Amino acid sequence: MKASKTIKNASRFSREITLGIGLLIILATLAVVAPGFYQAQPLLSLLTREAPSLIVACGMAWVIICRQIDISVGSQFGLCSVCAGLLAGMHWPIALVGICAMALGALLGWVNGFLVAGLRLPSIVVTLATMVTLREGLRWKRQGEFVTLPDTVQWFGFSQQQGQVTIIVVSLLVLIILAVTARHLSLARDIYAVGSDAEAARLAGIPALRITCFVFVLLGALTGLAAILNMAQAPQVDPKTGTGLELKAIAAVVVGGVSISGGRGSLWGVFLGLLLLACISPALTHLHVEAYWERAIHGGIILIAVAGDRFKQGKENS
Amino acid sequence: MKYLIVTAILGMLAFAGCNKSPEPASGPVSPAKKMTIALMPKSKGNAYFISCKKGADKAAHELNVELIFDGPTDPDPARQNEIIENWITLGVDAIAVACENKEGISTALRKAKGKGIKVITYDSDAATDSRDFFVNQATAQGIGFSLMDEAARLMGPEGEFAIITASLTAANMNEWQKNIEARRAKNYPRLKMVALRPCDDLKDKAQSEATALMAANPNLKLIMAICSPAVPGAAEAVKQAGKTGKVKVIGLGLPNENKKYLKEGVTESVILWKTEDLGYLTIYAAHSLANGALKAGAKTFKAGTIGDFEIQGDNILLGKPFVFNKDNVDQFDF
Repeated sequence: MKASKTIKNASRFSREITLGIGLLIILATLAVVAPGFYQAQPLLSLLTREAPSLIVACGMAWVIICRQIDISVGSQFGLCSVCAGLLAGMHWPIALVGICAMALGALLGWVNGFLVAGLRLPSIVVTLATMVTLREGLRWKRQGEFVTLPDTVQWFGFSQQQGQVTIIVVSLLVLIILAVTARHLSLARDIYAVGSDAEAARLAGIPALRITCFVFVLLGALTGLAAILNMAQAPQVDPKTGTGLELKAIAAVVVGGVSISGGRGSLWGVFLGLLLLACISPALTHLHVEAYWERAIHGGIILIAVAGDRFKQGKENS
Repeated sequence: MKYLIVTAILGMLAFAGCNKSPEPASGPVSPAKKMTIALMPKSKGNAYFISCKKGADKAAHELNVELIFDGPTDPDPARQNEIIENWITLGVDAIAVACENKEGISTALRKAKGKGIKVITYDSDAATDSRDFFVNQATAQGIGFSLMDEAARLMGPEGEFAIITASLTAANMNEWQKNIEARRAKNYPRLKMVALRPCDDLKDKAQSEATALMAANPNLKLIMAICSPAVPGAAEAVKQAGKTGKVKVIGLGLPNENKKYLKEGVTESVILWKTEDLGYLTIYAAHSLANGALKAGAKTFKAGTIGDFEIQGDNILLGKPFVFNKDNVDQFDF
């Protein structure tokens, strides 16, 4: 009896275990071939740079678990960054700027959520439209011009190291809070239910549409927070920032074992998936491999993950 | 009395209306009429083009020509066409355009040429048959050689450097890179390019790439960023790594985005053309073309106080790019 439970647990975490092993192999290879990878400053810097992506990936995981997708996060991130930068430039306190960025993100998420849940439009089309609209709007408004921030904004006024640690800690806290609620909050269980079968969930009395809208709002607010954590890492905001972020987040979610057809997956897997993908680029630089390979390797990892998903589902269904 | 007041008010209104009109000299052509040159930026608010206009104003003043400066508020090919149509109706003598869309604008320019208006492009070209000359601000060779020479000047006789580009497939960057490599192989064979990384034209990604480059290449002496967002991105990475002065940053970029790092000594120099000279040369070329002094097939061209320029085919070359550094960057605002 106990043995079977252990096996069941192992199978529930099989993706996390596979990912963990993959990550360890890469890290061990680097330790042997390119020990230069293990230097405190560049590693701390790498984690700091990836922290905002982790937060966005966590939000994206919930959207995908709910069987939706949001490809406009990169544009939301850009808009939140630029608006936050402009407010910070007007010497608003950074906490207030952060709240405004999250509110703006939530609002943008709500627009997506309303169009998807309220008007029953497919999320890929809705968010494709908002992605292009927001990005082009930003280009039209800023014409590529950077937003210069006051000196106090970088690292939230802390020293560089304190700032980096703060950013990493905040992102890990977001991960932990969201991962723990996934196990214990009825709202989280409802999201899984809607993602598995929206009609069944509705018949079971779960407000499926409101939940669908909620996951978009949550992702938007998290994107706003991520924008602030990214903004604090440099003295200028590039209005093109966030371009390609949607692919990064979706890749981390899929590699992390969240089923693209909704209803299953865990945030721990997403965390490992993001770490794995984030290691690839610096690893290639350290191994002096030509940059041409980077995208191909990313693509390969995503393919393996999706294929693994299908294989696992097939086995369970038979 | 009432009649008088009404007339006076109407008169004032008419007078105010006249003043507001952007083109006061729209009456019948008199023999003493000044030459009119119309200059169009990609967009009016862009600091880069405002800086071009400064040079153009100076040239117009020296040549005693009427300069019209107008363009879309935002980069908009359709609006550029509308403005050119207006200029054709107005009967200007010469038009100089920085084209937002090569195909889109060429038809309107051909029409202008058909009406006997001289057409010049600057900054970015239109189809070659739709204009007389293109004022080319920088050739791939000029950019590539200048960057490599600047790198060599800062690095000394030997050492390692890395390049951050926008993407591995961008045609113009590959062309620059070919010239950088040609210059390196011929003049500085003991300098070694150890890595080439793309940053997708994003400042944030350039920062991550530069961090990894420095960690992976401990002997790195210089990072050359050949797309504009990569210059401040690489500089921020160098600063955060505490390697200011040890790893030098140079690149192709805008003075304003790099001012802070130039002054902090992180970025050594930024290369770009002098936009004021570009505007100045464009107006001089348009003027000479309109009065017949500049004809197809010319090999050189003299522009007022800034000197002689080479002409390659139908391209008037602005010449070697300009190097911005901490001593001169404050003179520029774009």
